[in-house]
Amino acid sequence: MADGMTQTEHHHEAHAAPAPPPRGWRRLTAPGFLRAGWMSLLFLGLGLALVLGIRALAGWDPLWYWPPVLTAAFLTMAPLGFLAGIGAFDYWTHYALGRPTRPEDHSGHGARSWHDYFRVNTDHKVIGVQYLVTTVFFFIAGGLLAMFVRAELAQPGTQFVDPETYNGLFTVHAALMIFLFIIPAFAGLANYVVPLMLGAPDMAFPRLNALSFWLLPIAGVMILSSFLFHPPSAGWTGYATLSTVGPDGNIFFQMGVQWAGASSIMTGLNFLVTIITMRAPGMTFWRMPLLVWANFTTSLLVVVATPFIAASQFFALFDRVLGTDFFNPQEGGYVLGYQHIFWFYSHPAVYIMMLPGFGIVSEIVSVMSRKPIFGYRLMALSLMAILFLGFSVWAHHMFVSGMAPWLRVPMMITTLLIAVPTGIKVFSWLATIWEGKLNLSTPMLWALGFLSMFVIGGLSGIYLGAVPIDIHTSDTYFVVAHIHYVLFGGSLFTIFAGIYYWFPKMTGRMYNERLGKLHFWLTFVGFNATFFPMHLIGVQGMPRRVADYAPEFANWNFFISVASFGLGASTIVFLYNMIHSWAHGPVAEGNPWRGLTLEWQVSSPPPVFNFDHIPQVVGGPYEYGVPGARHAVFEEERVEELERVT
Amino acid sequence: MLVLIGVVVGALTTAVAYFLPWLPEQASEQREGIDLVFWITTGICVAIFALVSAVLIYSVWKFRAKPDDDTDGPPIHGNTALEVAWTAVPTVLVVIIGVVSAIVLARNDRGGPDALRIQVTAQQFAWNFKYPNGVTSATLNLPLGRDVVLQLRALDVLHSFFVPQFGQKQDAVPGELTKLAITPTKVGEYPIECTELCGLGHAVMRSQAVVMPVARYESWIRREGRRLRGPPGEAGAAVFRNQGCGGCHIFDPADSQGQVGPSLNELEKQARRAGKPLVAFTRESIVQPEVYLEPDYPNVMPKTYAQLPDDQLDALVQYLVDGAQDENG
Repeated sequence: MADGMTQTEHHHEAHAAPAPPPRGWRRLTAPGFLRAGWMSLLFLGLGLALVLGIRALAGWDPLWYWPPVLTAAFLTMAPLGFLAGIGAFDYWTHYALGRPTRPEDHSGHGARSWHDYFRVNTDHKVIGVQYLVTTVFFFIAGGLLAMFVRAELAQPGTQFVDPETYNGLFTVHAALMIFLFIIPAFAGLANYVVPLMLGAPDMAFPRLNALSFWLLPIAGVMILSSFLFHPPSAGWTGYATLSTVGPDGNIFFQMGVQWAGASSIMTGLNFLVTIITMRAPGMTFWRMPLLVWANFTTSLLVVVATPFIAASQFFALFDRVLGTDFFNPQEGGYVLGYQHIFWFYSHPAVYIMMLPGFGIVSEIVSVMSRKPIFGYRLMALSLMAILFLGFSVWAHHMFVSGMAPWLRVPMMITTLLIAVPTGIKVFSWLATIWEGKLNLSTPMLWALGFLSMFVIGGLSGIYLGAVPIDIHTSDTYFVVAHIHYVLFGGSLFTIFAGIYYWFPKMTGRMYNERLGKLHFWLTFVGFNATFFPMHLIGVQGMPRRVADYAPEFANWNFFISVASFGLGASTIVFLYNMIHSWAHGPVAEGNPWRGLTLEWQVSSPPPVFNFDHIPQVVGGPYEYGVPGARHAVFEEERVEELERVT
Repeated sequence: MLVLIGVVVGALTTAVAYFLPWLPEQASEQREGIDLVFWITTGICVAIFALVSAVLIYSVWKFRAKPDDDTDGPPIHGNTALEVAWTAVPTVLVVIIGVVSAIVLARNDRGGPDALRIQVTAQQFAWNFKYPNGVTSATLNLPLGRDVVLQLRALDVLHSFFVPQFGQKQDAVPGELTKLAITPTKVGEYPIECTELCGLGHAVMRSQAVVMPVARYESWIRREGRRLRGPPGEAGAAVFRNQGCGGCHIFDPADSQGQVGPSLNELEKQARRAGKPLVAFTRESIVQPEVYLEPDYPNVMPKTYAQLPDDQLDALVQYLVDGAQDENG
């Protein structure tokens, strides 16, 4: 490997000479945070001039009216200025202006020092790490908000925060966790791993990839900074008409979702093109690792569904800012229309937040059990089945909404049927472990933890799918328990599994196994102690999204709050392990898990362009225990083979 | 061993399902069907959970690799019979749940031909109930054993009507009329909760459903109907009581002791402070309570009372004005 690398590297290095650091006033015009700073302010000024100018000319009163000022100047123009300043548009701007561009320009590729992680970088591995670090930051922020929520709920009555702040806390908690953590964290892991697994040098559209990343901090800062104004207070579902007539803070959510959604769509498109067109020779669809399959189906979901949430948020925003009446019943608007459009995205979004995790778990379970994945084709097909069924169940979120009553039974049937492909996956994982040689490393613990917790989340989903039970439990803490078993016990456990599993690949260093296991057990116990009792108080009738509750629920809520603080504290172990091991951990070998998939066949971390020679794929990705089986062969091996034969 | 683990996990899960007080007290016919689906689903879920846990725990215990064992497991790629089985069995199970659910849903939706129709108005952050003879109240009174259909309207944002003991829940939607069937089966007082986030007062948008024997309900509804058509004083007193005004306000003629809002004995003083004539001020403070706020009192009075029928509003204003003048006269 190491010998063969030099040729390609040199070939690319010729283009990759990093530009000398700019000096003097040129520092202000070179892409970077300095230029991003002044360009954000400049664009903010332009936005303000536009809005206030039009309002002054038209003689509208008041001149400074928050909805349009916020929307146009603060939440649209300023972020565009930031993107332009950081350099996300430089290549395209040069191209549009007819200035010379180098299509094979790799100066923005790869990381030579930590500085390179703080600029527009087109290397999918750098972008993957940028994604993960950014999303973990918002995970911590969202987690702290949840701690405030639990502090308030420890006792009935209001103690720490007023109702507006409280509604803001759980709204921003959910918005950050969903749009700035789970969805992009998966995108980050896949960004790093998918091109490697495919035997590709990078993503199909590296510059688009960089832009997708830089939209994220914008969305996150936007949603988080709403606490400086008024936080959005209509829940992450942002139901009309509360979101259209409630406080102006909802604009932060409605616009933040646009930026995060745009990022999602671009990444989804990028994955699709990459997976379809950039597979190494011999990498047929039926030889792709299940993680790639999972991201393929997820990206299809993202590209088709995400425009719907964008639309729902635009409609709600227009009702407030432009005076449209999409959801205003007094002017013929249709309030339930919001929910239909919203859930047409947001139910598939549940699978956007699950399928990549399924992929991660399939990788880990197979490698750590030293066995082929059980029923590989059915595993891939069940992903596709979930994809199709996932688009036909959205109204199960609306069984008590007052929608057309006939819609309930068909939606219940499709909802319950999703248990079938999901069950196939769970049973296949179990069959994969069966008679294996289990290595109970930290990633495997998270994968098995996921398996048990996701089964509980899936089973409580059957309760909610059955309309009569849903009518009783809808909008109670049972739903809160369910979504946390699915998104925390499900998605988050797989994200942790993936981070530990690929940590040596990404950083070139090994994490501390003992701390990893401690993190798992603390989280596992804390998670169950926090969320399992919520099923109980939910069935008993405690509504969700309340700052205050009936005294009969006081004991359980106190218990839950205490447990949740323990759960929150377990994250400190994770952070310490990650930061300390990244800096000081023992150097990791290229293939510490003895995996067969392609990312393990290169050095840790991989060379800038991943492979010195594009590998030739010759078999399935999980042929553990099959004597002499190979997933792929590399150029030098082919040469040797050829020499041996002749 | 595998079976033993399965039995132990199954027994523990069953104990959790059986001994914890899951479903609240049952107080409606609809809850019977809901509980049936709940327990069928629980049975199926306990079995599946026990199966999955048993295989998982057994595997972790039995198939853990020895520290120096670098070999691979057997290369099993699949097993068609097994895969067909775990596709077919869950399909059958969810179809059973689906069919039972659909039957229960159809029964629970049926309000009955001569159901008592009560109009429910939801507004930030209060409920109001209007009975067929025009009587209105802030708590919901229901006759035992009678089919009731609630017709829900929302005036501002989404709300949702839920009584855990009835098991039935329905959103109230601005611009739509939604329905909910309830047949109470047990005398008692049950909490009404708003379960759809409706703004800052969402958590306190609660009321009570009072199920009473038919005879008591009939006499209550007839008496209140008669009082509404009686002299203004009596009608106003009835509205005051049924709307629960005394829960928040002191008013001596009604012997009420509420401390949340300003004392209504002082209406004249408050009208002077607001600089408005007493009658106009009183009416405005009921229908638009946010216009004038007494110092030190927050803006928390629900705006629902604007929906009172005109004659009831007039009677209430008359009653308050007369009472306040008596207090100070």
